[in-house]
Amino acid sequence: MKKVILIFGILSLLIFARPVLGLISNSADATESTRVVDAESAVEGSFISEAMDGVLQFYQYTGFANAEWGNMIMILIGIIFIYLGIKFDYEPLLLIPIGAGVIIGNIPFVAGNQTGIYETGSVLNYLYFGVVKGVYPPLIFLGIGAMTDFSSLIANPKLMLLGAAAQIGVFATFLGALYLGFSLPEAGAIGIIGGADGPTAIFLSSKLANGVNILADGTTVKNLIGPIAIAAYSYMALVPVIQPPLMKLLTSKEERLIRMKPPRAVSQKEKMIFPVVALLLTTFISPSALPLLGMLFFGNLLKESGRTERLADTARTKLIDIVTILLGLTVGASTQADIFITKDSIMIFVLGAISFVIATCGGLLFAKFMNLFLKGDDKLNPLIGAAGVSAVPDSARVVHAVGLKADPQNYLLMHAMAPNVAGVIGSAIAAGIILSFLG
Amino acid sequence: MIHLLLYIDTLSEGYVILVTGLTIVFSGLLLLTLVFKFGLPLMLYVYKIISKGPDKKVTEISPVVNHEFTGEIAAAISVAIHMYLDVQHDKENAILTIKQARKLYSPWSSKIYGAYRNRL
Repeated sequence: MKKVILIFGILSLLIFARPVLGLISNSADATESTRVVDAESAVEGSFISEAMDGVLQFYQYTGFANAEWGNMIMILIGIIFIYLGIKFDYEPLLLIPIGAGVIIGNIPFVAGNQTGIYETGSVLNYLYFGVVKGVYPPLIFLGIGAMTDFSSLIANPKLMLLGAAAQIGVFATFLGALYLGFSLPEAGAIGIIGGADGPTAIFLSSKLANGVNILADGTTVKNLIGPIAIAAYSYMALVPVIQPPLMKLLTSKEERLIRMKPPRAVSQKEKMIFPVVALLLTTFISPSALPLLGMLFFGNLLKESGRTERLADTARTKLIDIVTILLGLTVGASTQADIFITKDSIMIFVLGAISFVIATCGGLLFAKFMNLFLKGDDKLNPLIGAAGVSAVPDSARVVHAVGLKADPQNYLLMHAMAPNVAGVIGSAIAAGIILSFLG
Repeated sequence: MIHLLLYIDTLSEGYVILVTGLTIVFSGLLLLTLVFKFGLPLMLYVYKIISKGPDKKVTEISPVVNHEFTGEIAAAISVAIHMYLDVQHDKENAILTIKQARKLYSPWSSKIYGAYRNRL
């Protein structure tokens, strides 16, 4: 505790010393002008003033001299991210790297020394390359594929439709962004936040809203990768906060009590066939999503083939960890205040929240709609519709938790995983479609 | 004037993308659903027929072919399997020692470099 107070004391002293040092800089100028007149004290004076100049020059390079309120706000947000990750366990694997990245990206610095993430040639810029060019998202998808067990989806394929229903959020947000005056590609990239899938959002925004493409009317598209990625990841982390009230609002007590029959056992052969068939079907429908879907199902094939356990193991542990570290850090660092704090970012955050709400409602209502046609123990518990927004596996866990609150014996996790992974496939297809329309 | 026109165009294109996009996503996943609901069992059945031939019914298996296979033979085989799997004690692992623990040496714990050795 003493140490903390000491450190804070020194920090605050430095900050308060800033105006004082500013005054000294004036007096240093004054000594310089009087040096010619007073030759005797010049030797001593020039030594002090030179030392002072050195200190001042050093001070001009420090963060204290260059700090702006924007940086301070973003650093605070970074600290809040880290706090949320540690204290409430909201996706700590994402929030902590991103939070650290936000702090790193907002340390004030003097431009032109190849320090910042947006300066060509800086180390952070090289790492950011994987985000800008959409290299990291497919690698993450490879790991997700090698992690995911599609068996509950194979056992009950009709749950795939719930994953499609939640994509309403994507397209509704797309329209909302158009109404707010974003151009078509920008709106497409913003819409995909509703897919609740960080890698997909980064992939699509790196293709559509990357600050490089030129629009039909001759203007350059805005660079929205940072705000979109941050919005997508932070809402993904906030799924346990956003979804439960909506679930309670849209379902009745009886509906929440519905017990679904346990999924049938799925043979290994079916699990092996699934990635190949699904890869062929989905990429033939939406070839633009090939990097995402191709890697997803490739990863799953590695897992299910039974012969490539080593590769699958690397993909789902080491590889995805490495990429998550780089992705989280650079996405966080891309929130450099002078580029990030704009009206657009705030609108993106609002649209992102709305898209999550619409996607959740879409899934819930479609599950209720499907129940109209299903009978007996085939009926779905409409709660699992909410898992149709991807956010694997957090939204499935939320569904499970809400289901348990209604009935402590009703375990929905396995059932919720099906629309959950279908949501990943669905949002990747949606991204591919948007890309083929607007790319 | 032109700007307004462009704006309206963007929105109408947005609606087109909204409708077609949703339709494609839905039909895509519907197709996937149908394939896994009906196509996959069919594929597995076809694969089974190709690799093993169609299943025989119990009535098709004639007892004449197997009339030499008596209960005694079955008993002998099962005893052999039982002996092989559970009872057999011919070969035992002769190495009974405990795994030798590697002695950890580090200059940090060495007595040669003791701090008080050279003190008078």
